[in-house]
Amino acid sequence: MRAPVRPHRPRGGARSGLGNGGWLVSEDAGSKAEAQNGHTLEARGVTVRFEGLTAVDSVDETLHQGEILGLIGPNGAGKTTLVNAMTGFQVPAAGEVLLGGKVISRLTPHWIRRHGVARTFQAGRLFRDMPVSENVEVAGVSLGLSRRKAHTQAMEILEWIGLADQAQDPAGVLPYTDERRVGIARALAMNPTFVLLDEPAAGMSDLECDDVMHLVREIPERFGCGVLLIEHNMRVIMGVCERIHVLDSGRTIARGTPAEVQSNEAVIAAYLGHE
Amino acid sequence: MIDATTPLMQRIRHFWPVVNLCIGLLVITAIVVALDDRILARTLTEGLIRVVIVVALYMFIGNSGIMSFGHIGFMMIGAYATGWQTCCPYTREMFMPGLPGYLLDNSHHFVLAIFLAGLLSAFVALIAGIALMRLSGIAASIGTFAFLMIIYSVYLRWSTWTSGASSVIGLPQTTTPWVAYCYAVVTIFAAFFYSRSKFGLALRASRDDEVAAKAAGVNVIGQRLLAFVISAFFCGMAGGLFGHFLGMLTVDTFFLNLTLITLAMLVIGGMQSLSGAVVGVVVLTVVIDLLKNLESGMFGKDGFVLPTSSTWVVVGVVMMLIIIFRRSGITRNAELYWPFKSDITAEGALRRQS
Repeated sequence: MRAPVRPHRPRGGARSGLGNGGWLVSEDAGSKAEAQNGHTLEARGVTVRFEGLTAVDSVDETLHQGEILGLIGPNGAGKTTLVNAMTGFQVPAAGEVLLGGKVISRLTPHWIRRHGVARTFQAGRLFRDMPVSENVEVAGVSLGLSRRKAHTQAMEILEWIGLADQAQDPAGVLPYTDERRVGIARALAMNPTFVLLDEPAAGMSDLECDDVMHLVREIPERFGCGVLLIEHNMRVIMGVCERIHVLDSGRTIARGTPAEVQSNEAVIAAYLGHE
Repeated sequence: MIDATTPLMQRIRHFWPVVNLCIGLLVITAIVVALDDRILARTLTEGLIRVVIVVALYMFIGNSGIMSFGHIGFMMIGAYATGWQTCCPYTREMFMPGLPGYLLDNSHHFVLAIFLAGLLSAFVALIAGIALMRLSGIAASIGTFAFLMIIYSVYLRWSTWTSGASSVIGLPQTTTPWVAYCYAVVTIFAAFFYSRSKFGLALRASRDDEVAAKAAGVNVIGQRLLAFVISAFFCGMAGGLFGHFLGMLTVDTFFLNLTLITLAMLVIGGMQSLSGAVVGVVVLTVVIDLLKNLESGMFGKDGFVLPTSSTWVVVGVVMMLIIIFRRSGITRNAELYWPFKSDITAEGALRRQS
């Protein structure tokens, strides 16, 4: 059952979107076909520096709606920093992030979320004192739904993700693996155009990984969005991604299909070689 | 057994936490008024005004997780703004010669005056909040403390409007126990609706995890500012009520003492629940009143007498014990529970609301 929520398209890009006062974003009545007509989230020469250390060094990448792109690299390669830069948590020192051709890299995180770019966190970062359902509701009400509608939507997403029975439990008591799923549910509220998943399967067993892979594969179809997936687990990456982008020390060292990346010597040396 | 599935019962259950608090206060008020004891009635009225203050504090502190030391400044603003409209029509020019002509010549009914005073507090909160709400955690708390210092200093030296270091005397003492009760009920309902609203939910999200709240689309600064303004409005009204309770205004009334005692009430009751705010006021009012009576020798000259000021030592110790052993306060940050069969639907009012 598909959530009866309209795909949330970025409306008129960054600047014109600022005009509605900051409290509400109206539901957009675009059909799914329209929503998939090629919106892109683009990193153009994105560079992030921390006191002399270049964490991300002129990275280019374009994420399309409906695709699943893998972002891999050894620890400290700059994957999370790149996601931070693409979601407004880090202002790039150089380069820019574009959504549907409009620059968004100077917008605040909540604005970027309202324009349809959602993310999850490695650490889960749930609202621990709130029930699971309210964790997901927060995104709905912040993006313009009433509490009642946000609750209905949250329950639909939780049902899909397999946590409907725990909806009333405080999020703080959930096991680690379920925390990740609540994080994903929260990111998918209001059908974002793009969702950036930061290691959703870290620390999971093979069985649990299969579950996550299954969910991630369904996201583009069900929610109409493009997915960027950071993951260390190669089985997950190779299993769900159509394209893969490899970072090492902040630089792009390879891009391509899973097969191409797996046979790339630079990747084997820098990344798979460490395993 | 009460059938909790009919629409009426569901509605009652939804409002149960607030109905409970309002009935509790109603019973206390009715008993004290019936006893017809002047001193007890004063304690009651002061307690009810403190319910307004502490519930207003809860709206901001409880939902945002930011401790504020500045809200008593809003009370000061509200109290004086009320005084400008209601105080002593014949001697107003003597106390506050700097007032504009309209205020010197006209008086408002105290209900209208209190409302307008609340609006002024809210407006000041909007201006101050635009700067303060960008801060988080301890920095924000220190910012609110600085705000209190500013308001205190300004009102102390602004003698043509506030009579400065001396006091404004002659406010009509219109804050009876029942008037204070009405304001307490209005404030409790406002706090309840606010916390249940989408705005309250979004603000609590930012309290639990600011970064994740931003990622979920929450305008953290905007939500904090909204709560700050609403709670300042009610604090301002509490200031007006307090002025009309005391019958006089001095700037020292609205400074550290009142800040500390109201925060102690909130902390002891349970910072993150509305019931905690009210329970904290009731418990601490009773404890303080009892201790003060012991200090002044309630058992006669030869009876047991506490040394002067030991009340504050005891309050301090209680606060420490709460912080150490039960950080979520007497109510454990929960609302009062529905006492009947609990076959709860998702919409049940019994959910922990924090």
